[in-house]
Amino acid sequence: MRFNLGFFLREAAKNMRLNALMSVTAVTTTAVCVLVLGVGLLVSAHVEGILRGVGKDVAITAFFPEDVTREQIDQDRRQVEGYPEVEEVVFVSEAEALNRVKDMLSEQPEVMEGLDPDIMQASMEIRLADPEASDAVAERLRAEGFSEENLNYPQQTISQLNQVTGYVIWALRAATVLFLVASVLLISNAIRISIFARRKEIEVMKLVGASDGFVRTPFVLEGLAQGLIGATIAALVVVWGNAIFVEWASSALPFVPVSSSAVNTLLVLLVLIAVGVLIGIVGSFVSVRRFLRV
Amino acid sequence: MINFNNVTKVYGKDSVALDHVDLGIDPGEFVFLVGASGSGKSTMVRLILKELEPSAGSITVNGVRLSGIPRRSVPRHRRSIGCVFQDFKLLPNKTAAENVAYAMEVTGQKRRAIRVKVPQILDLVGLGEQAEKYPDQLSGGEQQRVSIARAFVGQPPILIADEPTGNLDPDTSVGIMQLLHRINRIGTTVLVATHDREMVDVMRKRVVALEDGRVVRDMVKGGYANEV
Repeated sequence: MRFNLGFFLREAAKNMRLNALMSVTAVTTTAVCVLVLGVGLLVSAHVEGILRGVGKDVAITAFFPEDVTREQIDQDRRQVEGYPEVEEVVFVSEAEALNRVKDMLSEQPEVMEGLDPDIMQASMEIRLADPEASDAVAERLRAEGFSEENLNYPQQTISQLNQVTGYVIWALRAATVLFLVASVLLISNAIRISIFARRKEIEVMKLVGASDGFVRTPFVLEGLAQGLIGATIAALVVVWGNAIFVEWASSALPFVPVSSSAVNTLLVLLVLIAVGVLIGIVGSFVSVRRFLRV
Repeated sequence: MINFNNVTKVYGKDSVALDHVDLGIDPGEFVFLVGASGSGKSTMVRLILKELEPSAGSITVNGVRLSGIPRRSVPRHRRSIGCVFQDFKLLPNKTAAENVAYAMEVTGQKRRAIRVKVPQILDLVGLGEQAEKYPDQLSGGEQQRVSIARAFVGQPPILIADEPTGNLDPDTSVGIMQLLHRINRIGTTVLVATHDREMVDVMRKRVVALEDGRVVRDMVKGGYANEV
């Protein structure tokens, strides 16, 4: 038998129009569930992004003594760059250090007037590939002759941070999975109710000689359309909300590294819509099957 | 056309609906299946449609043994049997014309063919004017005509009616019976399960009487009751 797509689409559209209230229910349920799921995805993406940002800032600053020579600095720097745990070494001269302070105090330039770069200490900022390695690197630096007060490394903060990060991310993922399960149950229930209201129709269709697939197809298309509409609405709200949040955070929370790059907008959009459509299709497919046994 | 060969149907453990029934219906026959409620009429109809499976014995419809039809081929089997029910079983969300058209869409027929055929068949059952009305805008008799049109639109070799006049007044019933008779004259085998005594007596067709799941009488030009 040929597949009459036009007929199935007309049937699905008509069913949705006639059962408008049920359709609205299914669309709303899908939208709410996808919205919750989307917010979960966003929160975990941003938390991961923030933690990654904070982790990136973890660095050891080693100050050079006042009387250090140019050659000494270059030698130390090359040596530290050779450590396997080290990602990058940035040399900050006295002049640069002064400039940084000036930038920070740019609102009161008079404070800095007449200050000589000599009062600052030259340093190198050592970024670590692995935050856990800060202890080992500091140890080596001490062996190189850097005194404890000339080293600045937030070792304790780092280890605590890593532990918390692990818990938070794990908890967020678990919550996302729970929401997903809950939304599948909620939506297939909504679809089942709407199909239950039409079980007589299904029975008649079967008695007239309609095959299971013939009866099912309009319902599945209906579920697909409802999932698509609901998920699209929710996904757009999620993406829009994300944009607003990122903008707000960058002005209201300048010290928290919230970045728009933490969330791949297009991917989130596609994933959320795909989840909604899938739930719609699977939900209606499974729900109709129960009423096809005539 | 329809053959019951020593068929027994038992519901549950010991509720016997049909008890060793033998019945043969030839192509083009018009047969009344009569009997009180619970005598097994509906069970026979449902067995023919393969809604139920017999507990014992075999049934052949249109030359095909029903026990040999796999589940996925049941829809095709049902399309070879037009079916009319006491409660019409029309789709409430579809107009008269759409209800008839659905039976054709089920078989995958072209839209053009459907557009030509549906008005013809509605004219045939005398509902040309009511094509765009929904079932709840039609009288019982009109709904039953739609249901007959739907059963007949695919020109099945067999038409089965289960209490087609059960919900209708006598005058309307005469019209329905005449319609079934016309369909039979075109060559369709018609089986009518009924306990509409008057109708059976007037039509003078073959009458098969069931009682407690057994065939107690089979007369070529019979009446409802025992005499004649």
